[in-house]
Amino acid sequence: MQNLNHYQLANGMTLLGERMDHIQSASFHILTPLGAARLADGCCGAASVLADWLFRGAGDRSSRQLVEALDNLGIHRNTGITPYHLTFNAALEGSNLQAALELYADILLAPKLEAEQFELSRNLAIQELKGLDDDPRGKVMMLLYEQFYPDPFGRPGQGKEAELEALTAGQCADIAAQLFDPSQVIVSAAGKFDFEPVCRAVEGLFDRPAAGAPTSHTPAPAPRRYAHYPNEGAQMHIGLMTEAPPISAGHYYETMAAVSILSGSMSSRLFTEVREKRGLCYAVGARYHTLKDHAGIACYAGTTPDKAQQTLEVIRQQFGQLKDGITDDELQRAKIGLKSSLIMKSESSGARAAGIAGDHFLLGRVRPLEEIRQAIENLTVDAVMDFLRQHPFETFTAVTIGPKEIRV
Amino acid sequence: MQFKHKQLDNGLRIIAEVNPGAQSAAVGFFVRTGSRDESAEINGVSHFLEHMLFKGTDTLSALEVNEAFDRLGAKFNAFTSEENTVYYAAVLPEQLEAVTELWAQLMRPTLRKDDFDMEKQVILEEIAMYLDMPEFLVFDRGREMFFKDHPCGQSVLGTVQSITDLTVEQMRDYFGRRYAPDNITVVCCGNVDFDRLCSCVQRHCGHWTAAQADRRHPAHRPAPKKVYDHKSGLFRQHLALYSPAVSIQDDRWYVAKLLSVIVGDSSGSRYFWSLVDPAIADTAMLELASMDQTGAFCSYVCCDPENAAQVEDILSRIFAELARDGIGAAELEAARNKVLSSVALNSEQPMGRLVSLGFNWVYRSEYISVLQDIEHIRSVTVEQVHDLLSQFRLGDYTLYALGPAKQ
Repeated sequence: MQNLNHYQLANGMTLLGERMDHIQSASFHILTPLGAARLADGCCGAASVLADWLFRGAGDRSSRQLVEALDNLGIHRNTGITPYHLTFNAALEGSNLQAALELYADILLAPKLEAEQFELSRNLAIQELKGLDDDPRGKVMMLLYEQFYPDPFGRPGQGKEAELEALTAGQCADIAAQLFDPSQVIVSAAGKFDFEPVCRAVEGLFDRPAAGAPTSHTPAPAPRRYAHYPNEGAQMHIGLMTEAPPISAGHYYETMAAVSILSGSMSSRLFTEVREKRGLCYAVGARYHTLKDHAGIACYAGTTPDKAQQTLEVIRQQFGQLKDGITDDELQRAKIGLKSSLIMKSESSGARAAGIAGDHFLLGRVRPLEEIRQAIENLTVDAVMDFLRQHPFETFTAVTIGPKEIRV
Repeated sequence: MQFKHKQLDNGLRIIAEVNPGAQSAAVGFFVRTGSRDESAEINGVSHFLEHMLFKGTDTLSALEVNEAFDRLGAKFNAFTSEENTVYYAAVLPEQLEAVTELWAQLMRPTLRKDDFDMEKQVILEEIAMYLDMPEFLVFDRGREMFFKDHPCGQSVLGTVQSITDLTVEQMRDYFGRRYAPDNITVVCCGNVDFDRLCSCVQRHCGHWTAAQADRRHPAHRPAPKKVYDHKSGLFRQHLALYSPAVSIQDDRWYVAKLLSVIVGDSSGSRYFWSLVDPAIADTAMLELASMDQTGAFCSYVCCDPENAAQVEDILSRIFAELARDGIGAAELEAARNKVLSSVALNSEQPMGRLVSLGFNWVYRSEYISVLQDIEHIRSVTVEQVHDLLSQFRLGDYTLYALGPAKQ
């Protein structure tokens, strides 16, 4: 029951829509090419500032009028920063979709970007970054990506304090002007709406030629060393990452099966070996993290300092033992888990809008849910084992925050 | 959408909101017990017991339990609060009966000593994890100060001391008193065959014996006070504010809910315009925490330590203005639209509907459909909000603040 529509505007912008008849809501994601890896050197954090500044007045609305207009439509909104995109997402009642898109066209194309408001947005971005110092779990993963991915792909969306301090309203406004390179903008929508009128509306609202292009960097290898950051907390926060093929490389389902066997659920290996059998951690888990040309399996564990060394060793052992064999029963459970997540996501317009946009950007096409289901179904122990022998997960980048350094 | 309910002879209640068009189904076992039902000596036992239910029965080991859930493709978990312990799972409709059967079996756990000792380590790690989360710490400490001797002030997790000292015998005794059928409600929603579900629950739970589990409701007389603490290694100032609010049973609940959005939503609220928009704080929110015959408005603010005094002045001004001038009609409309859209979005997935459905029955013995929910939200007036503001004074708050150690 797939209902995907694809429309390309004359200016190159992509619009993707999937109708979901069993729900009343609609969600959309607007991916703009202002991700952390596409900003000029020295401007790390500009996307975080813009995520706030753009909402401080647009079109003929003041900051207050704009927020009121968004709130009056009952929009649940958010912004997100990935290496490639500054993404605006929203969920709302399906009948309000067009009105919401009109507001977002103003936000993206006619923001006021007043200088005095810039100072406030930058101040908030700096505060949010400093807030990570009181959130070691969040911070350790940010530092881990920076250690793991080739620069600029590990640059933190939240920015760096010195660069945020030095950022000017002029620089940031120039970056905002680049935001609308239509050939790099993807709009995805899912839920209860008619595609045709939305296409016509978007065509009218976003009919604008490219104003600039995001910065393109030549990737430089990441350090991938062990880094320890001392703090006085109660726990050691351990981040580990090992290389995996990116989704575009064609082993997505084998990778997902391996991660699921390792950490997909409470009967998975990490939970069983680290928590159930040894009581080492409350929080332990691994997940697949894919960019366009780079990917890895990222793992987090939090444990009191005296147990940190053993925790690390058990986790590494569990990664390493995957290539020694998986059972048919483990794969069956992994497949059932992956399929049931897929079906539950199909009930949520927000999850589907995110999936559509992600597929289009990373793969150049949107996989129908039935294709994903079939591919999961087709996984065999042999195929997953072939994959694991080629990707034995033996080398790790590690970052820890806590009272006591460990040996990696 | 159809509502059905039934009570077994031993007092166990079963309710369902049936939606034959849903792609999935969700089931929850709602046990009316939590940290407020504990003595200080066994503080944390409800939450610890929640972990222990996953350790299995006389015929199922912990690993077998986890494997069984995973074989059903269940998205399952549990949570413990001051007054409820809820076990839930979302599955495809054809697996609903099997997952309900599994939960029903787990509701009669063995509570083995060696599992208890191992899980105690995990609980102590969980307590350590929250020690590194100042936002959680200030809420916990603020609630304890606000409720003082009232049992709702007790920590859900317990303390390192109470957990270390807890024995498996104490847990078994608590279990026997609290996990009785007349203290449990089975809640279902989505694509559900109610009759089959009832026979499944009857088969597995029909022989359990009732125990008339009670709950104390001592009077709560808050005496506002302020405590400022410091902790080395912190960088930001974290504040939690508590003031009295309506209980879940109170008919003014919807009025209080809208007031909480007007005052402390993440966008467009009084807090937003006075604290976050001018970059005085990076987070400021107010939530309604209604409970069994009591309740609190609780706020959390995070800011630069040097802005802490200014934040408190601004909060006091916001509360004074609300008390003096009340709210505007446009503010109420915006809050109403936000809440209406949350209700609609949450109700799209059975899992999103389960908790509000269950709590309405546990606390109020009442079914409130999504449409009735929407009607209640639509009917709130500015005058009702003003009445509420005069009855529950936001300015009379208890404050707990935690910031960096002084140089």
